[in-house]
Amino acid sequence: MNRIQRCLVAVAWVGLFACGPERADDTEHAEELGASAGGMSAVAPPWDGQENAQDHQRRGQATRGGQAGAAMDAANAESTIAPPPQAGDMHQTMDTSTTEDTEDDRTSRPSEEGGTMADDMTRTAGGTVDETAPNAPTGGIALDMDPPDDPLRGGSEATPPDNAHEAPPEPVFAPAPPGMYRLTQQQYRNLIADVFGEDIPVPDDLEPDTPIHGFASIGAGELSISARAVEQYEAAALSILEAFLASAERRATYFPCADPVADGQCLRAGIAAMGLKLWRRPLANADIEDVVALVEALAPTLRDPWLTLRHALSVLLQSPHFLFRIEVGEVDPTDASQRRYTGLEMASRLAFLFWNRGPDDALLADAEQGRLTSDDGLRTVAARLADDPRTTEAILDFFAEYLNLERLDHLEKDRTVFALMSDTLGPAMRTEIELLIDRVVNIENEDIRSLLTTRRTFINDELAAVYQVNAPEAWRAYAFPLNSPRAGLLTTAGVLAMNAHHEATSPTYRGKYVQNKIRCFDIPPPPPGVVAALNPDEVGNAPRTIRQKLAQHREDPACAGCHLLMDPIGLSFENFDALGMWRTTEHGLPIDASGEYAGERFNGPKRLGELLAQSEDFGHCVVRQLFRYGMAHLETVGEEPAIMDLQDQFADAGFRFKTLLTDLALSPAFRRPGELQ
Amino acid sequence: MTFLIPKAGMNRRTVLRGLLGGGAITVGLPILEPMLNLHGTALAQGQPLPTRFVLWFWGNGIRREHWIPDEVGRGWQPKEELAPLIDAGLRDHMSLVTGLEIKTATHPHHSGMAGILTGARYHQVGTTRDTIVSTFAHPSIDQLAAAHFEGQTPFRSLELAVCRFRGTDEGTTFQHLSHNGVNDVNPSEYNPRRAYNRLFGMGASDAQIDLARRSVLDGVMGQIRRLKMRVGARDRVRLERHFQSIRALEQRLGGETAVCVHPDAPEQFPDVEGREQIAEKNAAMSEMMAYALACDLTRAASVMFSTAGSGVVMWPAGAQNGLHQICHDEPVPQPMVHAAVTFMMGQLAVFLNALRNVQEGDGTLLDHCSILCTSELPAGNRHSNDEFPVILAGGGSGRLVSGLHVRRPNQNASLAGLTALRGAGIPLQSFGHGTGRVDTLIDDCLSLG
Repeated sequence: MNRIQRCLVAVAWVGLFACGPERADDTEHAEELGASAGGMSAVAPPWDGQENAQDHQRRGQATRGGQAGAAMDAANAESTIAPPPQAGDMHQTMDTSTTEDTEDDRTSRPSEEGGTMADDMTRTAGGTVDETAPNAPTGGIALDMDPPDDPLRGGSEATPPDNAHEAPPEPVFAPAPPGMYRLTQQQYRNLIADVFGEDIPVPDDLEPDTPIHGFASIGAGELSISARAVEQYEAAALSILEAFLASAERRATYFPCADPVADGQCLRAGIAAMGLKLWRRPLANADIEDVVALVEALAPTLRDPWLTLRHALSVLLQSPHFLFRIEVGEVDPTDASQRRYTGLEMASRLAFLFWNRGPDDALLADAEQGRLTSDDGLRTVAARLADDPRTTEAILDFFAEYLNLERLDHLEKDRTVFALMSDTLGPAMRTEIELLIDRVVNIENEDIRSLLTTRRTFINDELAAVYQVNAPEAWRAYAFPLNSPRAGLLTTAGVLAMNAHHEATSPTYRGKYVQNKIRCFDIPPPPPGVVAALNPDEVGNAPRTIRQKLAQHREDPACAGCHLLMDPIGLSFENFDALGMWRTTEHGLPIDASGEYAGERFNGPKRLGELLAQSEDFGHCVVRQLFRYGMAHLETVGEEPAIMDLQDQFADAGFRFKTLLTDLALSPAFRRPGELQ
Repeated sequence: MTFLIPKAGMNRRTVLRGLLGGGAITVGLPILEPMLNLHGTALAQGQPLPTRFVLWFWGNGIRREHWIPDEVGRGWQPKEELAPLIDAGLRDHMSLVTGLEIKTATHPHHSGMAGILTGARYHQVGTTRDTIVSTFAHPSIDQLAAAHFEGQTPFRSLELAVCRFRGTDEGTTFQHLSHNGVNDVNPSEYNPRRAYNRLFGMGASDAQIDLARRSVLDGVMGQIRRLKMRVGARDRVRLERHFQSIRALEQRLGGETAVCVHPDAPEQFPDVEGREQIAEKNAAMSEMMAYALACDLTRAASVMFSTAGSGVVMWPAGAQNGLHQICHDEPVPQPMVHAAVTFMMGQLAVFLNALRNVQEGDGTLLDHCSILCTSELPAGNRHSNDEFPVILAGGGSGRLVSGLHVRRPNQNASLAGLTALRGAGIPLQSFGHGTGRVDTLIDDCLSLG
């Protein structure tokens, strides 16, 4: 499937079900919308057939709308397709957008008004678009600046062309602006370990990450540092330095002298060496002298040189230069029409992408010698990093976050129903999945889609009980027999259990997990006013299976729009209970594990895994998720061409993950920032 | 008894342990009577005690058939979900407002959360995905109060939480309560021991050390100021927040310290057999908040009992699955949801009574608070935005009228926010933005002229 077909499939797929977040707004604010969009007709109720048709048509227009439409389609990769901006609408919107209400409308209804496309094209790295917000300074400018004939935006015609299926032109790459990324908790811990030693304790009392769009790194690109976090960082800095400086042997790494307060040369060299590692760049002389000045100011009252150093050096650890990765970029000296990340910025970007840690001496040397800003140099370095053991570890962190494996850390099930449930079972389920990924991705560097079909996994005694196979004495590799109903990630106890309730299964959760995580297909939340609960069991009725209970999801048009995307997939997992154990009956009734995916009816998730592995969807999804994680922002429309290139390269490389990491490092999206905004 | 000790370089921990004998607060203590605030500035006798604004939030709403009383005015009879509050003796310390509606509604949970707490629409984060990821476009109501009280107490605001569950893919709206603006949050502490350490556990301060710490913070502020010139507009806003956060600590170190009674250091409350110790944590956090407010550590506070759309398992109410999911899966009339809401109102009663147990002047701490208690939607299964659950608790130092059921069908839910702010003596003339904005009050609930 080429990239344009990908877009068209997306249109058909989404249009068919008309399951999109803007739909709820259609009714809720039809009146306001009519006013703000300059006489756009009132919209029908969300779940009737007429609206479905309208919605489909609107999405179709998106594809016809030229490059912006195509970019938008692609941006959603089988997700929402927004209508193209139309010149008339745009002006109407601008005319009426003086009231706050109208602007608010646009904020929460991205696909409804022309203005948002302009916003999309100039979105800040974090992807926020609200103009009403006092803290979002970029939004308002975009509307005024966008001329209707901007080639990036396309769709300048007031009337779209007639042929709904005409292939759109290829979109043009536009880099996201550079930004500032706060260290995640893991990155903070990794840096402290690298600079001060693995065994220096880092206090537990650090602010938990705030994941956004599924990744802590994206939240770190959005959040600032709260008053509470400042207190925590200060306490952590003082505690870390106290532990480090307490050891004469340790502190000699940076300060190999008896009294650095009295020895200016030793002091300056130590500050420079420690600062280089903490700030991931050489300190300017002025930076060093600022710390020296602090030492000199504190020494007379604190007296003890190491107590003085403990406080003075804490300035390095509380600094925004440590707590944030700060990237600005520079004009590319070989092509003044473009910007690039500087060598030092690239050293950090590579280190955080491959290792989730700061750059080591070798990477800093690469930066200094210009290797990270040249194609050949970067290729060599990226190949070196891909084989580094630190990369192996960080890859697992990425997959754990992407696949929500942390939900297994505190997995809970009804222990009166599941005798096998224990405090350690959830973590064991996580370990199995991590070992499985480690084998496929790191050790054998296989086609990543084999994750969905492989019979080879790892078990310990607890998992053996869940899988009803002979228990090993310790963790060991295990291959399910050919006739086993299990194969691959989707039938691991972890994936089955984390997408179920405490006692009952949830076909909806399981279907949603497949759509979200394997296909990168987002299911919007139900709209307001819909009674999002199942009808009561009729009194006196015999027990029903979950399939029977969920029939309403598929039959009630208010539910079916979205639930048809989840339940028919999820119901195929019904032979596995809420803990992931095999079963053949539910409430004494036989289980029907038939499912439907991509037009094929099948039985059981093993076949589903095969169907999914035949498609390129999972490979494409992994690219998108790695992009979000590694770039630390939600992809912008302008970055979509780079993502599609990576998806193509990934397919060409047989969907081998290590190649993907390297390709991302070499991608223009990774090397080139847009203008500072 | 006098429990506020003049500053004068005493070791807080020893003094307070000695005074209280390490006992937990179970009886009313006239903490603030010979009133000193923590900057050591004595207030003259007879000067009014401070009024505090508190937000108490729980996720997933209520069951309206068990919530809305049949009677209005003073003679209302509680239905089952409000009974725990009345049974706990709180009838004369709260008023119930029913019928309010979010006027900025677009999407469930997100709209209600931003609507009730900011009076405005939520801010969508990124538009290239077909799901809603949101944050607040404006400061949450507790931060409006914090801005009003700024500079009068050591902490500008205090955020505590009880249940551990956090959303992962819905944006800050499902993870945090207190916001300064877009993706700019004041995370709530949900570990009672850490809350204790932060508020009461720092031990004696050493003037020389504090001075050193301030010098370092000054250095960091200088770095931020210079860095701001190099980054984009959005990041300048983030650096300004970092700057303000550092300044808050720096000023606290520079302020004169007084001491106040301590609670005991709370337990850690690890899960037992996979069960979160919800009631125990709530009791500990409630006590922590009571001490913090009584000691005038802050006048703007929030308790996030559970997040918007929380998946917490309310096992003390008999639940086996996450509450959000039960709201969707349980057939009407949803007895388990009802039991969970009833349990949560019992937890609110524990909180309010922790404040009521503290004697303050001729009343209690609760009398000197204005507390907005609310959720992010009226009913987890309906995803509608009318009949929003609102309780206005506390006396607001005489500003709030208690004991009422006030019925305001289809009126703007922002009325509750503005009324609660005014109940805390905050003279804001309006609350909310766009269609969510109000500039009138729920008059029945206020005894102001």
